[in-house]
Amino acid sequence: MKLKRRVAFILLTVLMLAAIAAWMMVIGRGHTVYLDNKTLEDYQGQEYKAYERVVVTVKGEEVAKLDKRDRGMSVWIGQNFEMTLEITEKKGDEPVVKEVSVKLPYSVDGIVINLPAYLAGLPEEAWYSEFVPMVKEEPDEEEPSIGDDFGLEGDLGLEGELGAGDI
Amino acid sequence: MKKVNDASSGKRVMELVRNNAVPIMFIIISAIFIPMAGLTPGYLVDEIVTRMGRNLFLVLCLLFPIMAGMGLNFAMTLGAMGAEFAIILVADWQIWGIPGVVLAMILSIPFSALLGILCGTLQNMAKGREMIISYIMNYFISGCYLMVVLYMMGPIIPIKHASIMLPRGLGIRNTVSLLNMRQCLDDLLAIRVGGVKIPVLTFILVALLCLFIVWFRRTKLGQDMRAVGQDMQVAKDAGINVDRTRIISVVMSTVFAGFGMVIYLQNIGNLPTYTGHSQIGMFCIAALLIGGASVEKASIGNAFLGVILFHLMFIVAPKAGAFITGDSMVGEYFRVFMSYGIITIALIMYETKKRMNKSRAGRELAEAQKREEGAK
Repeated sequence: MKLKRRVAFILLTVLMLAAIAAWMMVIGRGHTVYLDNKTLEDYQGQEYKAYERVVVTVKGEEVAKLDKRDRGMSVWIGQNFEMTLEITEKKGDEPVVKEVSVKLPYSVDGIVINLPAYLAGLPEEAWYSEFVPMVKEEPDEEEPSIGDDFGLEGDLGLEGELGAGDI
Repeated sequence: MKKVNDASSGKRVMELVRNNAVPIMFIIISAIFIPMAGLTPGYLVDEIVTRMGRNLFLVLCLLFPIMAGMGLNFAMTLGAMGAEFAIILVADWQIWGIPGVVLAMILSIPFSALLGILCGTLQNMAKGREMIISYIMNYFISGCYLMVVLYMMGPIIPIKHASIMLPRGLGIRNTVSLLNMRQCLDDLLAIRVGGVKIPVLTFILVALLCLFIVWFRRTKLGQDMRAVGQDMQVAKDAGINVDRTRIISVVMSTVFAGFGMVIYLQNIGNLPTYTGHSQIGMFCIAALLIGGASVEKASIGNAFLGVILFHLMFIVAPKAGAFITGDSMVGEYFRVFMSYGIITIALIMYETKKRMNKSRAGRELAEAQKREEGAK
């Protein structure tokens, strides 16, 4: 009886931890969202012009001020990206504020959103694309530094952005 | 009468000094070094508070094996390695912020627990030499960790992002950026008092671990651990499963060390893949010993005092070293030398004290026997 209870307790704990881990994987998925204020040319024979200026605010923080042909960037945790856009359509116009919510695909790290196309209500294929980072030329080998017994070689395992004293 | 009182209070002071020789020595050294370093009090307090948040969890996890009489657990590094392994996976899966920290903690549990069981089992085979076993285990598992991270990550364990892989296509880079989870625990609920950032959430986690330790000592398992720590034979005769209790204490230590390492790494903001864990055990043990702990006895208070004193020394030593010698590098080496030196001095003092107590007990027994014979 006691053994059964113990096994049940262990199983329950493992299940609970697995459930929390799964939940964390869903709500903690990070994305980099790139916001383009660029003219979309010739989409089904129509052109969607870039705005004069778009000010992007995410979680109360201004992340980008986009003039024509500009690209801004924001990081977001989760799949429901929310931002506030302050759009000035043409020079001299009063800016219009819009709350925008975009569903981000789980598996994609970098997402490019074309704002004029998105705000025109076009289908996803028109405003969405995946950001592909440029492949950098790198030296073939990077020697991992393992250090010696006394921690006096390399960075003592302490070299972070904050310097050697950060233990 | 007054003379007798003075003598006894003098003895008491001497006893107090003898029992707390290491912390007292460090307070004196710090008092000498602080003016030499020329750092402002505000800066010192800010640095110490940051380092307390970063290191206390790791230092506290050393208390469990001491409770079970297994001495200083150099194998806490195994937990740190488990945490590093988990952090690499979390960084590759792009789980950021607090969820990333929680996920890394959960993922570290199986690795840390498994390594803890392995280490505890080995320590049970070499009772009385637990510390050296844990020290050597640390090197052995470190080699295994290197093999996994350097050769198996990529071809066998799938790693999606080239940004954390070595350019050759297998193995992880020297440094993995944790920028997207950097100080996420420390910044949440953080408050500023007189320009000093207090990482409230991190301190809440430390407080929870302290409460857990206090509660755990009163549980049946905690009592068993203390009984095992005092005398294994008596504990065994009392029906306690000594080996199992000792393994549990090591597993608890490594699992909590894994959590502590995640807290540490989120504070630093990057993972030094191949060296991050190598000094953790040594520095945590040094901090605990500076706080007045010994191989047999350690408390939460020792951990707090130790972290404050050790890190105070760590902050001021390079500047003081540069002030004394005119060479800043000497100060850097001085810090490493200090931490190894402290462990050596504390262990020598512990052994000396143990021998002194033994010989005093022997003398007292001999005197008692003589008196008994004289009375006959």
